[in-house]
Amino acid sequence: MTDLSLSSLITRFAALSRRARRIAMAAGIVIIGLFLMALFGSAGEPDPAGGPPMVRRITESQYRASIADIFAADIPVAARFEKPVRSDGLIAIGTGASGMSPFAVEQYDAAAQGIAAAVLSEKRRGEFLRCQPKHETTFDEKCARSFLTDKGRLLFRRPLTEAEAAKYVELARNVQGRLGSFYDGLELSLYTMLISPEFLFRIERIAPGDGDGTGTLDAFSKASRLSFFLTNSTPDAELLRAAEAGELEYGWGLRRQVNRLMVSDRFAGAVRAFFTDMLQFDRFADLSKDPAIYPAFNSDVATDAQEQTLRTIVEHLITEQGDYRELFTTRDTFLTRPLGVIYRTPVPTRGGWDAVTFDESANRAGIQSHVSFLALHSHPGRSSPTLRGYAVREIFLCQHVPDPPANVNFTAVELGAHTKMVTARDRLKRHATDASCAGCHKVMDPPGLTMEQYDGLGAFRTRENGAVINTAGSLDGVDFDTQDGLAKALRNHPETPRCVAERMYKAAVGRDIVWDERYYLDWLIAGFEDDGYRIPDLMRRIVLSENFFTVTRPSAQPAGRIAESGTRSGGRI
Amino acid sequence: MVHASVRRKGLVYAGCGAAVLVGAALAFTLVSPDRATARSGSFVRDGEAGFVVTHFAFALGPDAAKTGGCPTGMSKNVAEIFGETPAGQRRPGEGDEEYGQRVEAGGQSISASPDGKNFCMHPELAPFEPNTRILTSVNAPAEGIDLDNQVSRSEVDARRGLLDFTGVDGAEGVDNQFWRLVGCSRSFQENGPSNGFEVEMYTGSWGILIALRGVDDLKNDDHVDVGIHANADPIQLSPTRAALEYATYTMDQDKAFRAVTTGWIENGVLITKPVDVRFHNVVNGMHLERPLRDARIRASLSHSGVLKGILAGYTPVGDLYDFQFAYRNGKDASGAPSAMGRRLGSANGAARVLGHTCQGVYQSMNRLADGHPNPKTGKFTSISTQYRFEARPAFVIDGEAKNADDKAGLQ
Repeated sequence: MTDLSLSSLITRFAALSRRARRIAMAAGIVIIGLFLMALFGSAGEPDPAGGPPMVRRITESQYRASIADIFAADIPVAARFEKPVRSDGLIAIGTGASGMSPFAVEQYDAAAQGIAAAVLSEKRRGEFLRCQPKHETTFDEKCARSFLTDKGRLLFRRPLTEAEAAKYVELARNVQGRLGSFYDGLELSLYTMLISPEFLFRIERIAPGDGDGTGTLDAFSKASRLSFFLTNSTPDAELLRAAEAGELEYGWGLRRQVNRLMVSDRFAGAVRAFFTDMLQFDRFADLSKDPAIYPAFNSDVATDAQEQTLRTIVEHLITEQGDYRELFTTRDTFLTRPLGVIYRTPVPTRGGWDAVTFDESANRAGIQSHVSFLALHSHPGRSSPTLRGYAVREIFLCQHVPDPPANVNFTAVELGAHTKMVTARDRLKRHATDASCAGCHKVMDPPGLTMEQYDGLGAFRTRENGAVINTAGSLDGVDFDTQDGLAKALRNHPETPRCVAERMYKAAVGRDIVWDERYYLDWLIAGFEDDGYRIPDLMRRIVLSENFFTVTRPSAQPAGRIAESGTRSGGRI
Repeated sequence: MVHASVRRKGLVYAGCGAAVLVGAALAFTLVSPDRATARSGSFVRDGEAGFVVTHFAFALGPDAAKTGGCPTGMSKNVAEIFGETPAGQRRPGEGDEEYGQRVEAGGQSISASPDGKNFCMHPELAPFEPNTRILTSVNAPAEGIDLDNQVSRSEVDARRGLLDFTGVDGAEGVDNQFWRLVGCSRSFQENGPSNGFEVEMYTGSWGILIALRGVDDLKNDDHVDVGIHANADPIQLSPTRAALEYATYTMDQDKAFRAVTTGWIENGVLITKPVDVRFHNVVNGMHLERPLRDARIRASLSHSGVLKGILAGYTPVGDLYDFQFAYRNGKDASGAPSAMGRRLGSANGAARVLGHTCQGVYQSMNRLADGHPNPKTGKFTSISTQYRFEARPAFVIDGEAKNADDKAGLQ
């Protein structure tokens, strides 16, 4: 048998030649290094910088998903939610920076009443209560406590404190005393939970620790951050269990939960929510088109256009595990009959979706050639190279274009917008004679001018007001005159993957990046490239990074949580 | 022996390889998504062009007031007829409401046989009705085309009410006996309520599709295949209720509502050979059928895909009476006969409001019939009927597409 004792190994090592000893030592160092890297986390992640813990209002889609997950998908949420606030390009950031209006409180109240009434209705209470009182008129404290602590844990995304549990049980008891029904008491307590800030806001808390520097979120805050990022919904019972058991503090425990959440059906919902936010689809609520000019536009088209792009994204990024950059060149998509009218494509399925691949003759490539982008970034009565170019830069490249000057003169653009033989290029040429406008238009218009092949709704055209459209355009030094050219320029633009990685991280933590996170962001983007620009891998990389749960203790960040200006990396305008 | 063994081994490997390749190809076929290809371009793609009819109305002629085509006045309804009898005169001191009720009752009395059989349901029982006017004028023009390649202008034709019209465009030999039938009815004048079907079409009750195949040249093409079908889908409209172009429609799956013929394009005008067609028609929730025998299209085809012209043929007299005037064979959505009250009420109500009598139009249409003579009796059994229509580009597909889980095959 081979002797592997330490003394035997030392003896053998000493017997080696000088050169062999060097090689053996080097190999040993490499092995120890790899072992340490495996032990202490991802290779090359910079020291975690973190940012402030956040208080974020849950979005409408998160509210609805939470209610569906905690109770049932058919529990009605009868309310009109307040228009969300977008900050730094994302509602995900705006939720941490905006207040709440009286209208919103009113609507939360209405939604809570409806949900509580539906959950505890005679018809459905059996689905949600694991116990029942002997008589409806007698108060069963054990049963009330069981229901309220169980649902309260899911609603507040943490176990109720003893004081909270006692408060809600006592409230239920008092209400029963007045109204006579055990279930009326539970209903009011549930309603009270649903209007509590603990439900309506994601309140992140720091784990106890020493010092003024950085710390980590506590286990339940970690669970929330993880769940909302990977499922766009509240943590489920299993995730809360893992948090309570301390499993999220360990790599193996965290990976197990991440793997579980990323293979769940809810993961696609998170990707959809992120891109709904990034692509600014909330603006469809205010989108209008002149029916005389764009007769094919209606509410079905507005809804289907968003869904078309989201289906394309989910298919490409999740089902096909595709390269993010190819979202800008893909010809695969899905259509309904109302959309078929605009794309001039037959759609055999009634009331449903057909998978479609655009032929080269269809002049469509990438999500930027979808109606959802083209119609959203146009005027009600005409297309706009400027709005589209602005959107390309702001949304896909994270480049900031300054707002127009307050005294801008639109006369040259508006006058004769529909005059015979006049195109948008002609109008913009006149407008660009104003020096205060020309600077920004030089940046915005060139990519938008190629998109002039589509009218203000997104239908393909070759002429505007009778004149042949000149589709020559450019993007940061790359010239093109076709949709294919624009698609390739966007795909190959270095800022394209950088932008989505940055946005993804910001959405995950709900804030802009802080100065010290710039190295982390570079590391994230390098990893995104290594992973073939696959979005699920990027999301996994974010949640498994140390920085994801790292927060600065309040005393270390007296200036507030939003980054200093100019902290974003990358070459921007 | 060694060679044979090696060859066998090679064959086994080749077989395995082929099996793997076939299996992989099969697996790829099975797992690859059912993905159609979308193209853009003209409304004619690979020689095929589809259209949805967006306007459809009887092709008639100028108002009688302009042409003097009705020298003895317009047709009357039963209340008006009764009102002109001595018994229908207003009595001294009789109030408006009381008189109105008496006139209505009097009208109803001449709408039925002595044993109570309503003439709308049993027009053959009615005595001759002299108050129904037809367009007798020799000079009144009409819209439409020549269906029988004859110009019937003889005195015999005139006596029998079978004079051909001169077209509004000056063409001779226009066969449009339906216009002669309703030319003196106020509801079929230019702004009359019976002059068009947009309300029903645009609420999705029924529709018409036209599909062309083998189109090589929009200006002149000596052969095109033409399908004229009922639409199984509601027409797609804009918020201002204008029909949309390039929508997808499925042709009716009932073969009775699908017709195929051939035709040609001459100087940008599509001309088709006669074929029997049948469309749906819905009145007051009653499902009816609109047949047209030996129907043919003569319509101009623009480069933007607008097909505009005439669909003309012969409507069997009984069918015309039923789908246009009496609704005797009206059915509900399940295909069962509509309630008698609905059929009776709709027929008598329409006659009262539109200004005719059921028995009057029935007698007139039998007199004016000019097509498909009975081989035994020689009596004409159909009446020349012309529709003007406009159709716009659409994707016409064939196959069942009942819901989102089913697929229809592209034609």
